[in-house]
Amino acid sequence: MSRSDCGAGIVLDSVGMTFGGDNPVTALRDIDLTIPTGQFLAVVGPSGCGKSTLLRLVSGLLEPTDGTISVHGKTPEEARRDVEFGFVFQDPVLFPWLRALGNVLLPGRILGSRSPTHGPHTEQLARRLLMDVGLDGFEEHYPAEMSGGMQSRVALARALIYRASTLLMDEPFGALDEFTRDRLNLQLLDVWEKARATVIFVTHSIQEAIFLADRVTVLSPRPGRIVRVARVPFPRPRPLDLRFEPEFGSLARELRALLETDTTMGAS
Amino acid sequence: MVPAAFLALLALVIWQLVVVAADVPAYIVPSPTEIGQELVAKGPSLVSDLGWTMLEAVTGFLIGSGVAFATAVVFVHVPIVERAAFPWAIVLQTIPIVAIAPLLTIWFGYTLVPKVAIAAIICFFPVLVNTTRGLRSVSSQAMELMRVLSARKASIFWRLRLPSSLSYVFAGLRVAATLSVIGSIVAEFTGADRGIGFVIVQASYRIDTRLMFAAIALSSLGGIVFFHLIGWIERATLRWPEARQHNS
Repeated sequence: MSRSDCGAGIVLDSVGMTFGGDNPVTALRDIDLTIPTGQFLAVVGPSGCGKSTLLRLVSGLLEPTDGTISVHGKTPEEARRDVEFGFVFQDPVLFPWLRALGNVLLPGRILGSRSPTHGPHTEQLARRLLMDVGLDGFEEHYPAEMSGGMQSRVALARALIYRASTLLMDEPFGALDEFTRDRLNLQLLDVWEKARATVIFVTHSIQEAIFLADRVTVLSPRPGRIVRVARVPFPRPRPLDLRFEPEFGSLARELRALLETDTTMGAS
Repeated sequence: MVPAAFLALLALVIWQLVVVAADVPAYIVPSPTEIGQELVAKGPSLVSDLGWTMLEAVTGFLIGSGVAFATAVVFVHVPIVERAAFPWAIVLQTIPIVAIAPLLTIWFGYTLVPKVAIAAIICFFPVLVNTTRGLRSVSSQAMELMRVLSARKASIFWRLRLPSSLSYVFAGLRVAATLSVIGSIVAEFTGADRGIGFVIVQASYRIDTRLMFAAIALSSLGGIVFFHLIGWIERATLRWPEARQHNS
């Protein structure tokens, strides 16, 4: 069954996920998806379409009930053991007893010599990452002393510090106001271009998905199926004003229409 | 602190006035000034008895809390042990210590052992329950973060579970601190030749109410100091903002 084009990127082959229990729920069905190395893929869909489940399957936190997943030729479990993933959660999930710098250094402390950035320069690297996400001067602040947006940036820096080949982001800026989110999106693209990681970015905002990604995957709700994978034609670097261009708007409308028709179909 | 001291002063003044005005005999209820005189007169010997009681209490506290902490760590990592042992921890908690104390005194005599053991037993449950809860108070996303980093169990414990649990652990320790003093005094009632509990029993035989009140005041002082000592250690150890909100 499984294809052997495993060398590059992330390959999902008819992946399905059903959660057991008395009322089994099928979260995802027949997901076929290939993400070439270094590509930025956005996944959009309404809540409950299994977007977060998709990330947990790719990172080996969950095992699919159907199909296979390969990450650079390895199983997700193996790739996770090799620390190939950086995960940014819906909440920042910072440790309140560590300052910003300590939180960014946490992966290195846990990984030790398994981290590619292990060594005497780790702290310098952490400080530079905090600067890259616009937090210089806040290294010694505790999470409770920072705003939600700043906490999200610390979480991003923490996911980047060990140079994971794959970044999985689960609506990381979903709880933030529009202005903060815009700024963080720009910073994310900036650091992504430096890190050259493969990214799967889950969001419920079509605008955010198009602005960030090389390709946008639209998922239908319950069970989540791929409705469409759209290429985003805009060159990089992308200015924030891009979102007011007519082509941007028409692509957004097109994807929104897909989501809406599918929602009504799902309800009937 | 100031309002609490003011309230205490007010209560003492009312007490003094009532006792004097109603001419209550000193062997029923002595006035605060009489208790104060007694404290000054018997001060050195009372303080040495209190020291003895506190030694028992603190030793029992350290043993009981230590065993409780270790048990909680095992509970969290090996659920089957928790299911087997936790009901018995509740049984241990429901047996009145007043009933075990004489038994321990029969077994170990007028030594330190029964007092330390009772203090330890009384400390065990609150620390066990709070520590177990604290070690479990880890969000599922934080746990996933550790798995993404393929952290080892030891690493998850030291870097995530333990720090998350500390506010809970200290809440248990503060309760245990005051209980431990009560525990050692109760154990002294059943057979001792020194300690605050011994003083209270002896004074009660002689209907020496003044001495009893003085001893009660001192034992309470011991518990309060121990309670605040734990709070001070907590503030010195847990320095991040949220932890500060918890214990203020």
